[in-house]
Amino acid sequence: MANDSSDFARSMAIATSGLRAQAGRMRVISENIANADSTSQTSGGDPYRRKVPTFSSALDRTLDAQVVTLGKIKPDQSNFRVKYEPNNPAADATGNVKYPNVNSVVEMTDMRDAQRSYEANLNIISATRRMIQRTLDILKS
Amino acid sequence: MSINDLPVLSALRTKMQWHQERQRVLSENVSNSDTPKFRPRDLVEPKLDKSGAVTGSMGPLAMTVTSASHMTPSGAASSFDQNKNAGFETRPAGNAVNLEEEMMKAASNQMDYAAATSLYSKSLHLLKTAIGKG
Repeated sequence: MANDSSDFARSMAIATSGLRAQAGRMRVISENIANADSTSQTSGGDPYRRKVPTFSSALDRTLDAQVVTLGKIKPDQSNFRVKYEPNNPAADATGNVKYPNVNSVVEMTDMRDAQRSYEANLNIISATRRMIQRTLDILKS
Repeated sequence: MSINDLPVLSALRTKMQWHQERQRVLSENVSNSDTPKFRPRDLVEPKLDKSGAVTGSMGPLAMTVTSASHMTPSGAASSFDQNKNAGFETRPAGNAVNLEEEMMKAASNQMDYAAATSLYSKSLHLLKTAIGKG
């Protein structure tokens, strides 16, 4: 087991891994939102496919603690939206254009969720910092 | 007799260590608040006797090493009892972390730690007064 005195440092490192994972999730979400209307360049081709971030809990051996990591970013297998736009260059022979399977409402709720989790991790860091400060205050008295 | 052998100081030190370790456990819970199948954990509060030693709780059982070539298990080994009953609200993904509850726990942990540290420095101050340096 790691040295007891580094427990606060470990708390901070664990919370930092949470921050990193949520920031990565935010990046994927912003990619989805930015590409909400990206159609294919070729006629009848597939447009942008929504990406879903995954999280996994892993044991960090240097920290000796369970940290969170952003796992594989997987494609969402749901169906594309189809619109009838015969004049669109991306339209297939029947005049239908495939649009990405991105739902902006879902992305927005996901974004709020990521934001909340990020703030929770930040709170843990500031709480831990206050606790370290209290420990140092013993020396001052 | 060293200064740390005083019952008050040793009890407070154990309590501070417990808060430190609990902070780590809570931080694990919060950072894994979106990990599928993750179950939150918590620590059981230590009971201290008059001499400041921990009583009434059985520490985690250590793994027995039956051969010198065995490796000791790595992982979040804790010197305090774990409370496995934490978390009752499980989401469809199998994650049982309740962020609000964890934040409340972190806040109370921080406040209790602040109380323990001020008691510790007060006790030190008392000692200083006793030896005529206060």
